[in-house]
Amino acid sequence: MTPAGRAGRIGLYLFLVTTALFFAIPLVIVVLTALKDADEARGASIFLLPRSPDLEAFSKAWSSACIGRDCNGIGGRFWNSVVITALATSISLLLASLNGFALALWNLRRAGLVLGLLLVGAFVPYQIMIYPLVRMFAVGGIHQTLAAVVIVHVLFGLPILTLIFRNYYVGLPPELIKAARVDGAGFFQIWRLVILPLSLNVAIVAGILSVTGVWNDYLLGLIFSGQNWQPMTVSVASLSATASSGVPEQNVNMAATLLTALPPLLLYLLSGKYFVRGVTAGAVKG
Amino acid sequence: MTRVRIENLVRSYGAHAVLKDISLDIADGEFLVLLGPSGCGKSTLLSAIAGLDQVQAGRILFDDRDVTRLEPSAREIGMVFQSYALYPTMTARANMAFALRVVGASRAEQEERVRWAADLLQIGHLLDRKPGQLSGGQRQRVAIGRSLVRKARLFLFDEPLSNLDAKLRTEMRNEIKALHERLGVTFVFVTHDQIEAMTLATRIAVMDAGVIQQVDTPDEIYRRPATRFVADFVGAPAMSFLEGELVAPDRVRIGENTVAVPDYAWRSAPRTGSVVFGVRPERVSVAPVPGTATVAARLRGIEPHGADTLVWAELSGQRLSARLTPEAAAGLPQSLHLDFEIEGVSLFDPDSGARL
Repeated sequence: MTPAGRAGRIGLYLFLVTTALFFAIPLVIVVLTALKDADEARGASIFLLPRSPDLEAFSKAWSSACIGRDCNGIGGRFWNSVVITALATSISLLLASLNGFALALWNLRRAGLVLGLLLVGAFVPYQIMIYPLVRMFAVGGIHQTLAAVVIVHVLFGLPILTLIFRNYYVGLPPELIKAARVDGAGFFQIWRLVILPLSLNVAIVAGILSVTGVWNDYLLGLIFSGQNWQPMTVSVASLSATASSGVPEQNVNMAATLLTALPPLLLYLLSGKYFVRGVTAGAVKG
Repeated sequence: MTRVRIENLVRSYGAHAVLKDISLDIADGEFLVLLGPSGCGKSTLLSAIAGLDQVQAGRILFDDRDVTRLEPSAREIGMVFQSYALYPTMTARANMAFALRVVGASRAEQEERVRWAADLLQIGHLLDRKPGQLSGGQRQRVAIGRSLVRKARLFLFDEPLSNLDAKLRTEMRNEIKALHERLGVTFVFVTHDQIEAMTLATRIAVMDAGVIQQVDTPDEIYRRPATRFVADFVGAPAMSFLEGELVAPDRVRIGENTVAVPDYAWRSAPRTGSVVFGVRPERVSVAPVPGTATVAARLRGIEPHGADTLVWAELSGQRLSARLTPEAAAGLPQSLHLDFEIEGVSLFDPDSGARL
């Protein structure tokens, strides 16, 4: 390598490392602060290492921190998030797979038009639809219930997930469907027996997108979930707005934040390969 | 056992007509091959027979029953695809049993039928493997087995041998032929390979540009092609075509040469005027000395093919080929005296391309 090339390479790494550090700053502060006790967290600089690091703040955040008048921590809300995410993701994956199959492999009239509408759907901002949805749920009597929050997540997730499934299915040989039709299988039989078993890879990709999207959501959870099914993200916001003893417990807030962010963080780490595929899945055919 | 009757079938994609008023009768137990170049409509016709593709006009009858609007599953057919189209997540056994499974047949019946088809195709030892663990030839066998498991009355093959290598192709060709003889049911087989068509078919339907050009036995197709297209498409090395003029009912003038066609089997009364003179290379020979029936030509090139040698000659500015033994082709002089056997000659109308 020439000296100029080496210098360029060093510069490149310098830039990457600096950028990575810059983006890591908030995470570092969260971790450092969560390991301190309340006084230290309030007093010292946020960049100082904790004097005697412990997990006190985490256990308090999980089981005894006060959210409004309810002092049971965010542990219970964790399970709310798990239930919402699991339901919303599994329902939307199934529906997206079915839609994608119909769009890609069934001779659907105006499949192109439907696809175009889906693309529009994938990019319409949520905010436009919130008020009408609230009215609809209120009229239907399910406003601020588990059903309501799951339904909105499924609705908002479907366009992009359908596109991902559709793009994957377009790459399957059409003879597969023809053979199954000759064999006498109907639409749902072909989907269930031939297509679904082939969908594991794309389901992982779409599943990651869906899980992170639903888990990290704040706005829809805030509006549609109601008290009983409040997800973790909303609880963390309420938690940090509650100062039970008059002074904010920054270490507990940070610990709660970290606990909330942990599942998607772990998901990214464990499935980086698939996640990259998921990001490109909508753009690249196949 | 099914007679297939196709009446005035029309299929077009937008402005592009793929099938133009196709009519065809396929007899019970026949092995009919649809032969043609890619894009001629042969696969579309097969899809229409299978019910996988809707037609815009015309009717399809199986034993006088109109099936034009029936779903593929209701037509009692078996179909084999070029890409095998095996279900990748299922074992060979599950692939073969699929058709029975979706209609809710009992396990015992599934097992019995799969066993029967597996024995017939000698793939019993492959039943627990998935398609990914099978070779191309084995996959094709499983695909054929899958089509057999249903009690089909008509078997459709869409270029089933095109993805196999040459040796395996010959082997599978023989197996398919034996299968047809053994089952005695109607087979419709699509291919662009004339050797497959010639060896397998009881009758061949040659298609071009959405039209059936000729339906006949392989022998008739080869010896008396109905159109210039058929003559050109069937036969390797290909027939030579020379532009000429019919000057008398038994003489064709090609440039300054005159070729006698004394015993030509005319389709219609001969009429003088321009004609296309076609001749099969194996029916052209080189005479040592000029005779009354020979024509003068120049040697233009020699292509050894091993078993025989293709000799290219020029006759009044037009090229033609002769298929000779390597010995006959050795040491040919520059000026040749060519002799045509009348059995290898076909005359066509230069405008319509129809056989005269």
